[in-house]
Amino acid sequence: MNPKVILVIIISAIYGLFVGAIPGLTATMAAALLIPFTFFMDPVPALVSIVTMSAMAIFAGDIPAALVRIPGTPSSAAYTQDSFELTKQGKGEMVLGVDVVFSAIGGLMGAVILMTSAPLLAEIAFKFTSFEYFWLAAMGLSATVMVSRGSQIKGALSMILGLFFSTVGVDITLGYPRFTFGVVELLNSVNFIPAMIGLFGVSEVIRSVMQGELSYPIARVRAEKIFSGIWKLFRRYKVNVLRSGLLGTFIGILPGAGADIAAWIAYAVSKRSSKEPEKYGAGSIEAIVDSGTANNSCLAGDWVPALVFGIPGDSITAIVIGVLFMKGLRPGPMIFEQQPDIVYAVYLSFILANLLMIPFGYLAIKSSSQMLRVPRNILMPGILMFSIVGSFAINNSTFDVGIMLAMGVIGYFLEANGFPVAPVVLGLVLGPIVEKNFMMSMIKTDWDATQFFTRPVSAVLCIITIFIWFFPVFAALLERTKRRDSLRAERIPPST
Amino acid sequence: MKKNDIIGGGIFIALGIFIFTQTWNYPSPEKGHPGPDLFPNLLALLFIGFGLALILKARKLISVEAEIVPGPKRIANALFVLAIVAVYVGIVNFVGFLITSAVLLFILMKKLGVTILKSAVASIIITLFINLMFSKILRVPLPIGIFGW
Repeated sequence: MNPKVILVIIISAIYGLFVGAIPGLTATMAAALLIPFTFFMDPVPALVSIVTMSAMAIFAGDIPAALVRIPGTPSSAAYTQDSFELTKQGKGEMVLGVDVVFSAIGGLMGAVILMTSAPLLAEIAFKFTSFEYFWLAAMGLSATVMVSRGSQIKGALSMILGLFFSTVGVDITLGYPRFTFGVVELLNSVNFIPAMIGLFGVSEVIRSVMQGELSYPIARVRAEKIFSGIWKLFRRYKVNVLRSGLLGTFIGILPGAGADIAAWIAYAVSKRSSKEPEKYGAGSIEAIVDSGTANNSCLAGDWVPALVFGIPGDSITAIVIGVLFMKGLRPGPMIFEQQPDIVYAVYLSFILANLLMIPFGYLAIKSSSQMLRVPRNILMPGILMFSIVGSFAINNSTFDVGIMLAMGVIGYFLEANGFPVAPVVLGLVLGPIVEKNFMMSMIKTDWDATQFFTRPVSAVLCIITIFIWFFPVFAALLERTKRRDSLRAERIPPST
Repeated sequence: MKKNDIIGGGIFIALGIFIFTQTWNYPSPEKGHPGPDLFPNLLALLFIGFGLALILKARKLISVEAEIVPGPKRIANALFVLAIVAVYVGIVNFVGFLITSAVLLFILMKKLGVTILKSAVASIIITLFINLMFSKILRVPLPIGIFGW
């Protein structure tokens, strides 16, 4: 840990806390805007920066949830109502103390699971060939659609759009230019970094301009009191913490499922097993303990498939993988042998970021009312300018700024009509992996597709993927059967 | 959402058809095996299939109350943002990064309702900060322009 890396950690932590605490600015957007800086850094400080930023941002989203009833990031949405209700009851300090301490605990739990499971899975991954990687990438894309918020049809269309963007450029079989329309800059595909900056940064600027200035009353809290009673709460909810930490990490390991999904699932599980379910939605500290632990533990889980297989666990790791590819690095089992410094950098930064979360989180809470008062009509033009320069900086090309603008418009219209944007990112990153591994497999077997189904691991991954495809159909059929049975039960007259 | 979903589904179906028209003339490797057209054609089929599914689902939905549509002023602001960025891209190499960026920021903030003094101060500070980060620390060569800035 040299001084430069420590400085990167501190600056990234402050950046993550600031972005997470401002409603409307997401951790994914923060990652997209951070890329132009990390692109020019060595891999170790670049990864340290992104891990620290995301850990802090996911926690910081809890601050406006408690103080103004608006989640700072989507991962805080599940328990925003409970947080704000407790703040109205004069317990804002307890809420924020729980947020910061249990987020740190969840993050540390996830980090331990990452450190123990990733090397074991890497041993298995060494035996993977193009057949297994194809199914793994297909499984990741399918899981992304299944867990996408809102309509799964829209999630699928977003993902296919991302896959389509990934086909732009020279194809891998014949080197034939696809969808370039004679534009030389597109021969190397749609530049990933300006595309991400446009989808997450510029689209938010457009959305903010369309919505107008948000104004909201900000509750006051005394930061020096946030830690009182925390130990008692930990002893009371220690089983919840263990359960949610494991649940969040496992959800993170699933490709495509991010911290917001983890928080919602943990909330639902918590409510079902709570002795006071009536408090959920009306001010349940138990809900905040569970969801706050799960969303931070999920972050480390997201890195398991990313490091071991090069398959992103969420949209942030999708961005990281895209950047690593651009720098000529290949996440996957070989990285554990050839570049262990990168793996250890990820481990260590999770540990450090979650330990630093407590003092930094305290300072963020102390300055929360100032942060929440930053006027958006100054912030948004600033973000736009960062986006423009960040997009330009990668290749010194104004064409990339054009890509950024186009993707910003696309991202805005997608989200305004209920299409999630995260599947677009996963399609863009996983598209080349799916196509390359499929074509390689077919070419080396002279177009004999049976090995996709006869190799043992391939067959298992194939069955899981097909199950995911048909899960919505199974679920709908099961629902229909249950409804029919309950209607039938209502019609049978009671015996006299 | 219902009408927008029907339009959205139509756009994706049109995109699928467009992909087919583009891949029609793609070359094939020897022995007639699929080549560069395989993956895009599969995506085109998926666009058409899911686009149709979206339209069918939207037709079944009961119309809800009218969506809240942003007013004309907000739409004009958003179009203004896009237009000014396009102009920025066109002139930045000629005028230079520092002047063009400060002016763009000033105009945008003023348009979004910030006072003249605050716009001027904020735009200069942000421009200098970005210049420091990218040009001095990351050593990214930002456009200099005819004034040498």
